[in-house]
Amino acid sequence: MARYLLLRLLDLVPTVFLVLTLVFIAMRILPGDPALAALGANADGGQLEAFRERMGLNDPLWLQYVHFLWDAVRLDFGNSLMSNIPISTLIANNLPHTVYLTIVSVALGLFIGIPLGLYAATQRNKLPDNALRIYSLIGYSVPDFYLGAILLIVFSLNLGWFPINGAGEGFWDGLHHIFLPALSLALLKSAFLGRLTRTSLLEVLGRDYVRTARAKGAREGRVIFRHGLRNAMLPLSTGIGISILATLSGAVAIELVFNRPGIGRLLISAIQERDYPVIQAGVMMFATFVVLVNLLMDIVYIFIDPRIRMKS
Amino acid sequence: MITRRTLLGTAFAASAAGLYAPRLRASAPDTLRFASAAGGPRSADPAKTTQGSDNWAVIQMFEYLAQPPDGNFGVSPDDFTPGLATSWTTSDDAKTWVFTLRQGVQFHHGYGEMTSADVARSFVRARDISVGSANYTNIAEVIESGKYEVTIVLKNPDPMFLGSTVAARHVMVISKKAEEELGEGFATKPVGTGPYKLDRFDSERGTYLSRHEDYWGEPAIITNVECLYIADTTARTLALISGDVDMAEGVRQPGWVPQIQAQKPDLLFDMTVPGSFNTLFFNLAKDPLQNIQVRKAIMHGINKQEIVDALQPMSRMVYTLNPPNYPTGFDLEELPEDLRYEYDPDEAKRLLADAGFANGLTIPVNTSQREDYSTQHLIIQEQLRQIGVTIDLTIMDHSAYHATNRQNLNTLNINSSSLPPVPLYVFNDYAVSAANMKEDGSGGANYSHYGVLMPGVDDLVAEMLQTTTFDDYVAKGREVELQIQRDLPMGGLPTLSYLVVRNPRIDLGYEVQGGYAYWRFCKASIVG
Repeated sequence: MARYLLLRLLDLVPTVFLVLTLVFIAMRILPGDPALAALGANADGGQLEAFRERMGLNDPLWLQYVHFLWDAVRLDFGNSLMSNIPISTLIANNLPHTVYLTIVSVALGLFIGIPLGLYAATQRNKLPDNALRIYSLIGYSVPDFYLGAILLIVFSLNLGWFPINGAGEGFWDGLHHIFLPALSLALLKSAFLGRLTRTSLLEVLGRDYVRTARAKGAREGRVIFRHGLRNAMLPLSTGIGISILATLSGAVAIELVFNRPGIGRLLISAIQERDYPVIQAGVMMFATFVVLVNLLMDIVYIFIDPRIRMKS
Repeated sequence: MITRRTLLGTAFAASAAGLYAPRLRASAPDTLRFASAAGGPRSADPAKTTQGSDNWAVIQMFEYLAQPPDGNFGVSPDDFTPGLATSWTTSDDAKTWVFTLRQGVQFHHGYGEMTSADVARSFVRARDISVGSANYTNIAEVIESGKYEVTIVLKNPDPMFLGSTVAARHVMVISKKAEEELGEGFATKPVGTGPYKLDRFDSERGTYLSRHEDYWGEPAIITNVECLYIADTTARTLALISGDVDMAEGVRQPGWVPQIQAQKPDLLFDMTVPGSFNTLFFNLAKDPLQNIQVRKAIMHGINKQEIVDALQPMSRMVYTLNPPNYPTGFDLEELPEDLRYEYDPDEAKRLLADAGFANGLTIPVNTSQREDYSTQHLIIQEQLRQIGVTIDLTIMDHSAYHATNRQNLNTLNINSSSLPPVPLYVFNDYAVSAANMKEDGSGGANYSHYGVLMPGVDDLVAEMLQTTTFDDYVAKGREVELQIQRDLPMGGLPTLSYLVVRNPRIDLGYEVQGGYAYWRFCKASIVG
């Protein structure tokens, strides 16, 4: 088991290396000049040149790449080209907000989606099942940033129940601030998870062992939860993994709409300003997060399905 | 032990707390909250800010030796009133300026009294950092001629020294002691003498200020100021309409102001005139823009009034490089008829035919996706279509746009700048050969190659630099303007005011008419 985990963790290295290399190349190919972004369009040639020299932007590309990789290995990304603030500080200030948003969104998505899916599965082809189908269709179709703006207008602007932007201070204020952004992401995830729960559960409920349990007189609740849901967890856990990753990417737009600090907002601003070190660090964070979530899901499989544990 | 019941109960309680919270207040009773259109503060050091939004905090914390009028630029030397200096004198050759400093001015956070050492350090630092205008390099020497007196010696005369340099952000007076102690950290822990001092610099949210209780002048009326950053237009607009912020940077695109007025009719709009002035550069290295007939045709094909109308209420007419309310700017009637380039599509077509383009021509042009650039370029594209000029427009992100401009890849680019009424600024930035744009990106913002690919105004600007009185300075500047109109390497487009929307509960204490894209809150009060 430990060896398996170690090997999976080692997968992180080539994945992150590849992602970083691609980002390094992409940022240098794109037109745009960090010196101009930092000093403004009216800066004269001398000022721009001094900035580029100071920031190492005049070094040959291969040397910039070597410096960049060496810094990445040491987890030292230097300072932002724009603000001169250490990138470790920027990451430390933003990453917790993105992780928090992801966790709350996925938790809300599960909290809404799984019961909906369960109910729809037990009411197959009846009104609740059809309602879930429509809900899922809407969920798949509506972009989360659009839903976020609608929720913001209704619940923050018109009703005044929630803060209009920011992340709040302290636990309760933070929870109050995160509810709408998390709900924007969660409603769409719940549509996906609800549909997945329904499909997985219906498949399991048709199996022989479920029929046997019913024939032995097991109560319906026990059949659904103990025999049905438990065995439907494997595809569902894959869906949860996908949801976490989708939430992470959706957080980029949601952080902007709700003006929340976070890695997504940091990245968007860095891309607009061609702040290379911040972009590289932000993308590395995202890549690492994706690999870790995949690893986590693999571990979850092992606990859910003993057959996988035996093979590994 | 946390049971499932406890967990669910807590979750429901948390939801209930959110759902039944009273309608959220606007700003705190004694706090002014301002939202700017950027992701987060970069620096609060007046000599090092490179993001316009950061200046909103800077202007509250730092001060000039000579103060321009609130809500406007100082256009002539007489417009300036004592700030950190109580008086000043200048030599006949306008090269030596002596400032008598105000005594008893205390820096924030206990950094002591301001003396000539602090002022000297502020000026020398601005010159050495060399970020900003070349005007700072005109400073030859800064002498501490007394504990409360500073003498500044210039290399060239500058009768506009108060406007060109003294009232520029880079030389706002900083605490020398704090700068030496904090080093690079000064950018996030700035120490000035202004009516507000820094409480917190949060790189994700904004800059939080509170009243400087030891301020030398009238203390600020509002206790706290929060300079917040909301980059997303929708989020910023909603924050303003909901009352979550008191003031917010507006969006400079057609229809935005009426839309906001319809949402909340009592909101107030503060605008600087001219704000940004926009210049259309003809890249003389690109065919067929070397031909002055083509350049004239394009100017005659642009209906400036239509642009002004589309961007109401933010836009004003411009006839030369500098706008009419600047010292060297011209009104239409002041210009010779042949240099007015009024909208005349028939004349434009005739000029094109004379130049050998009777069947029209196509010009590839890049523009920025930023709304102020793209709006003007799109309007001009449509107008020039009427005279047979097809603008093949590529819209790109703002950073890429400026980078391609600097690499000689654009033909008819627009540059937007918020410059003070110091004519030399714009001439030095746009028109002299020293500012020529170079393909390797090492040049300046003279995107036309004026003075390099055709004779320019270098000599006239050099003469202007030697004038010793304000009147001579302006007269020479107007000669430069006329020469540029004749050569037409670039042309003025309508200006676009910098726009801030304000909740009526805030009274600024003065009217915003012009000035830089940031203003002071020390006279502001909460009236609602």
